[in-house]
Amino acid sequence: MKRRIPLLLALLCLALGASPARATIDDALSFALEAADPYVKEGFTVREDYWGGDLAAKQTKAIVHQLFKGNEYWFWMGTDVKNAKISVHIYDSEGKLAEVEAWQKPHFAAARIQPKKTGSYYLIVEIEKSPSERTSWSLAYGFR
Amino acid sequence: MKPAIFLGLVALPFTICAQPPQTIDVRKLSAQSKLIDQVVVPVPSEIFAVLDKLGKPNWTAVLHKTPSVAQAPAEQPRIALMLGSVIAEGFIAVEAEDVNEVKQIGKSVLNLTKALGVQKKAQMRAKAITDAAEAKDWAGVRKQLDKALDDVSDQMVELNSEELSQLVSLGGWLRGTEALTAVVEKQYSKDGAELLHQPLLLDYFEKRLANMKPKLKLNPLIIKVQKGVLEIRPLMGLPEGSAISEKSVKEIGAISAALVKAINSKSEN
Repeated sequence: MKRRIPLLLALLCLALGASPARATIDDALSFALEAADPYVKEGFTVREDYWGGDLAAKQTKAIVHQLFKGNEYWFWMGTDVKNAKISVHIYDSEGKLAEVEAWQKPHFAAARIQPKKTGSYYLIVEIEKSPSERTSWSLAYGFR
Repeated sequence: MKPAIFLGLVALPFTICAQPPQTIDVRKLSAQSKLIDQVVVPVPSEIFAVLDKLGKPNWTAVLHKTPSVAQAPAEQPRIALMLGSVIAEGFIAVEAEDVNEVKQIGKSVLNLTKALGVQKKAQMRAKAITDAAEAKDWAGVRKQLDKALDDVSDQMVELNSEELSQLVSLGGWLRGTEALTAVVEKQYSKDGAELLHQPLLLDYFEKRLANMKPKLKLNPLIIKVQKGVLEIRPLMGLPEGSAISEKSVKEIGAISAALVKAINSKSEN
């Protein structure tokens, strides 16, 4: 699901004890934004829109997104579940792996692309493993 | 933000991902991966960031100078489309480095958001736009215009006016498309024309327009916009790798220009 909630509002919800489901997705977003932070200093503009939800281990979600040749993009994924392993990868419209690099760390995953063509791309997010039955995740992106 | 986690992120080396599959079968994606049916519409600065790298177009020629501050028409859908179009114009005014026009657009944004009942943050944003324009901080103006769109969208969702929020996006996209075709047409290149390859966004807008409440769908301006989007769809939604011809660029430009004109006209359609 695509969401648009300012971070401050998300943090306020957490502070006021919002519902656990809502809070975990917002928590996942704050991890995704933490992953983004170093790249902002490199000139990336982070969009306020993001995607999020929850998945079981080994489950994937696909997101179709418009990218423009000439820009460079980072996609940052976050989860609040400790010891979960998550990943994000980018494929072109024909299903070919299109990212330049990708990395994973506890709570985070990210992928970078310099699109060779303007058009639709597939972002595949996955919960590779997790101690929880459902793992909340968020995906944010930035461009420069 | 969590500073402790952030420090950890910097201190620890990144783990390169285990090799993901080199190819996936996109036809089977919806069954296997539960395709998310939500589209994030690019903000104008995402497209202008590409245009910056393409050279120095004559933005002053592309800019639609406004004789006066925009006054809100009576109908809400028209105001929403107009607001999107005015914000997009702001980006063009930034490219043209026209301080007075940017300031005028800031005031127009204020008027239109007020008419839509979403002026809460607009006043602060309009001031920030004006201040940044006076300081010729063009990157700052772009940032504030992007944020103005985000503010409007957030507040409209809060007011259960998601459909009007989509019309703001559509108005901005139409004016942006018109401007893009004007730039590409001036010095046609396949690379420049490729920026118009946006089938996903056209499908998104087409779907949103088709699913609007009957009252909105019967609005003459919405009918006109919907017809125009359907006309543009085959021109901009060519299969991946196909070049958008100079003739198509001209056609897209003409359709989007007519729609922008209809949106900004005072008379009812």
